[in-house]
Amino acid sequence: MNEIPEQIVAKLKQEINEVDDVKLKMIATEEGDVTVIYFSSLIEKMTLQTMVTIPLANNLKQIHQMAQYLDPKDVKGVVKKLNAGQTLLFFHETNALLSVDTYSAPTRAITDTETESTVIGPQDAFTESLETNISLVRRRIQSSMLKNENRIVGSEANIKISIMYMDNIVSHENLDDLRNRIDQVDYPLFTDISVLKQLIEDNPLSPFPQYYMTVRPDSICRYLLDGRIVVFMDNSQLAIVCPTSFFEMFVSIEDYYNRWTTASLLRMLRFFGFFLTIMITPMYISALTFHPEILPYELLLNLQESRSKVPFPPLIEVLFIELIIEVLREAGSRMPAKVGQTIGIVGGIVIGTAAVEAGLLSNILIVLVATSALLSFLPPIFLMSNTSRFIRYIFILSAGLFGLFGQMLAFAWLIHHLLSLKSLGTHYMTPAIPRKPNDLLDSVIRFPTKYIRSKTGISKVQKK
Amino acid sequence: MNTTKGKVLNRYHVIFLAQSIMIGTGILSLPQKLSPMGYTQSFMPLLFGVIASLTLFAMVWLCSKFPNDDLFRMNEILLGKWLGKFINLLVIIQFIVFSAGIISNYMHLIQSTALQEQTITMPVLCFLLLLIYIVSGGIKSIARFCIMTFFITIGLFYFTRWAIEKGDPSHFLPLFNFTPKEFYEALKQGYFSILGYELILFYFPYIIDQKKAFRHSLIGIWISIFLCFITTAISVMYYSEWQLKNVEFSVLNLFKAGEFTFIERIDIIGITLWVFLILSSITAYVWCAKRGMDTFLKKKKQSYQLYIIALIIFFIVKMPFSREFQEKLFMASNYVGYVLVSWPVFLILIYVIRKKQVQV
Repeated sequence: MNEIPEQIVAKLKQEINEVDDVKLKMIATEEGDVTVIYFSSLIEKMTLQTMVTIPLANNLKQIHQMAQYLDPKDVKGVVKKLNAGQTLLFFHETNALLSVDTYSAPTRAITDTETESTVIGPQDAFTESLETNISLVRRRIQSSMLKNENRIVGSEANIKISIMYMDNIVSHENLDDLRNRIDQVDYPLFTDISVLKQLIEDNPLSPFPQYYMTVRPDSICRYLLDGRIVVFMDNSQLAIVCPTSFFEMFVSIEDYYNRWTTASLLRMLRFFGFFLTIMITPMYISALTFHPEILPYELLLNLQESRSKVPFPPLIEVLFIELIIEVLREAGSRMPAKVGQTIGIVGGIVIGTAAVEAGLLSNILIVLVATSALLSFLPPIFLMSNTSRFIRYIFILSAGLFGLFGQMLAFAWLIHHLLSLKSLGTHYMTPAIPRKPNDLLDSVIRFPTKYIRSKTGISKVQKK
Repeated sequence: MNTTKGKVLNRYHVIFLAQSIMIGTGILSLPQKLSPMGYTQSFMPLLFGVIASLTLFAMVWLCSKFPNDDLFRMNEILLGKWLGKFINLLVIIQFIVFSAGIISNYMHLIQSTALQEQTITMPVLCFLLLLIYIVSGGIKSIARFCIMTFFITIGLFYFTRWAIEKGDPSHFLPLFNFTPKEFYEALKQGYFSILGYELILFYFPYIIDQKKAFRHSLIGIWISIFLCFITTAISVMYYSEWQLKNVEFSVLNLFKAGEFTFIERIDIIGITLWVFLILSSITAYVWCAKRGMDTFLKKKKQSYQLYIIALIIFFIVKMPFSREFQEKLFMASNYVGYVLVSWPVFLILIYVIRKKQVQV
């Protein structure tokens, strides 16, 4: 090392020029002057004291044993470590550059989940810190077969992600496939793991989510032992699970804590609720516009009575009220809490009741639309209920165009689309098509726990 | 289309492909087509099944001699290049006209029952768009769609329960009350309804387990034959002889016998669910036509031939010619379908003669 110490420090200073967060301190120790460089926003004062300042003053051997030696010529690598929260120690006498891991930015405490709550079962949820999340998983699966691989993604932001899997169960083809996809992603910043998910999915144009996302550690552990691969990201509360199937989008972890009869009933409710929610309002439109002869006499009279003052055709009426409900939902979720309470009153009572009184909508339709809106919230995965909202519009438009025939065409399109989707190479409609008899015990109906072990078909687990 | 010559069809695909292609619009008017036989027509589907099994045997035997070639290549190998290509062109045209016939038939049916106030242009366009989407997934996606179709539409059979209740089983006797001329008429007209299994000549190279392909296709065929048999049996019980001869789309009228408390006319639901069955038949024919066009074009451009086929079908359906001309055209293509079913026998003779020539 022929460079003078000041030159090396000067190079570093150039890289971190206008960054006022970075603190440079010169400390005199037994081994000569030491320059300490660190980001004050990423490091807590106590940590800095215990790991750096006090040992520098008293016990230099500890530093030499714990720290990592870096190459001062590799300025980019050194700055990366600095950005990751490590403290750099530059010894002027020996020209040695050391780094100590002191990352201790404040994190949120583990709280219960607001988005995926259950009545029974553990209530903790992931937080935004990668270390905490991994610890929440490791305390449940205490095995050295649980591997995790760290990677950095994001060309500008350098975010840590961690891929976890059980080495003796997972299929290594899936693993290689996933690794390749992540390595090929080129994007500057990932604010959340769902952005990464959209870049590594098999079919980004499809409305259906192809990987499962959850904030619950018990869910994740269950999937890990099924042979799936889980990806965590720093600063992201969600974790993604791949591969997955269509039937799993209707599975909530509470199904495994309930008894099998309750669980089967709830699953069937969710599953058929999905299909009902995309069929009810289109049926209303097609029955009233194209095929009034399909309804029995009293129901037809009832409907005509409630529609007697409405000046619009059924398609416009349905679109009108569906859009109002969408606006209510969206505005309600974006408004600040204090102002948001009025939305419920304004939307529900004023618009609903008053519109019927004024003759703009029929009240039977409001019942149908409210039911289908409720049903659309049944799938436990938020992305799936958003998907059912979107698909409902396709069905409404095709019912408005061609009546029941249009609905069946749209249904055929939906079936074909679902059949052609893949999730990390596994068909989306497993275990129905292609059939995996073992997994069928846990799809729409959940058999008692004695009989279900794990879903080996979906993740193509290794054969023992 | 991503079909490299890899084997992708497992046994369920083969069974349900054979089954779904056969059930199209044919079954809707099957009792009417068999009406020359009168009340004894209920065992005709079983006879058709036997004929179908024999011809299937010829087809599979021929295909097993050329395990990696479909019928287009076989024609070229056995008949020489130019004659083979000519026959292939005829086959492609036959498939396109046949598909257009099915679509036209079905669309007119929809127009008369379900969508009474519209012309059929837009529904045909949307139907063709969906067709293009499904066929571009290859034979495996068509097979998967056929499997789903079977499970979705099998529920329609429940709707015939009222026809059984109101029907009269005494219509079945006497059993052999027909003349050979009536028998011949019914055979000629009725066999159209179960055409479709001959497409195995085209997807045979993609079957994984080719040795058992005969067994699996046979299962598929007999499932369809069984469904046809139930249909004719129920229509015989429910209708009178005059009705059998004159009521078009007898199966739909069977649905009309149904009574639910919350829906009045089930036949509208029945006819619109039928689109699944039509789709499953036509996608297979269009896929074969596309494979045929592939053999003519040297560069394997992916999808434009599919659009050309769809456009041709659209023009045939919407042709400005009179309805009678269209009817004659579609009847002709049905008869050509018969020729296609017996074509493998002809090819087997040529193959055997050629082999003898080579040996001698």
